[in-house]
Amino acid sequence: MPSITSSNPNLQAEGPTLEVHFLISRELEAFYKKSGQEMPPPIIVKALIDTGASNCSVQEDIPRKLGLQPVGTTGVLTPSTKGTPHLCYTYFMRMLIPSHNIIYEGIFTAVQLDGQNISCLIGRDLLAFSIFIYQGTLKQFTFTLG
Amino acid sequence: MAPILLEEELKTYAEKKQELVRQSNGKYVLIKGKQVIGVYESENDAIKIGIEKFGNVPFLVKKIEEVEQSQNYTSNLIKIGG
Repeated sequence: MPSITSSNPNLQAEGPTLEVHFLISRELEAFYKKSGQEMPPPIIVKALIDTGASNCSVQEDIPRKLGLQPVGTTGVLTPSTKGTPHLCYTYFMRMLIPSHNIIYEGIFTAVQLDGQNISCLIGRDLLAFSIFIYQGTLKQFTFTLG
Repeated sequence: MAPILLEEELKTYAEKKQELVRQSNGKYVLIKGKQVIGVYESENDAIKIGIEKFGNVPFLVKKIEEVEQSQNYTSNLIKIGG
């Protein structure tokens, strides 16, 4: 199973972060190839593994830069929504960590992420297919995609 | 603020919701405009069929359920509302 172990002396302050690449889905890539359309280049951003997130989310400009159209909507609850879901668009994308052969194709909710230069939250919908080990005493974590 | 994209598809879902819940509760529906394209076992299957049929255009894939579940985030990195 593809796996990455990352060490960070500031793990407590910064959290378990990874550099990830976003691409259009395999299906859209095949559609583009068939119709002779040019593929957009990958978008490289910092992602936070967030066990407090029910689903994966991305900064809203990522699907826009990839030229993607939404495949759905979802209600989003955060501490600031005060119990009323906020409607957000969802996008189907591929997320990769090429150096470790980690590839996930799935649904990402577009939200406005603000602070710490984090552009993606890896949520429990992806963690459902993963092993995530956080070793605070060693200041490292391991993420394995099953 | 209601999204402008997928407005027609969301309206179509609302109109057909009771019938869909009765027949296919827990499955995923693919809607384009006013048309229900199909009902599928998985969300990814519905999306892949939508891409194969329509390419990179807005379409709606939605879980068929009586009470819609929201996603939840404890992080204050997401800026919504306040």
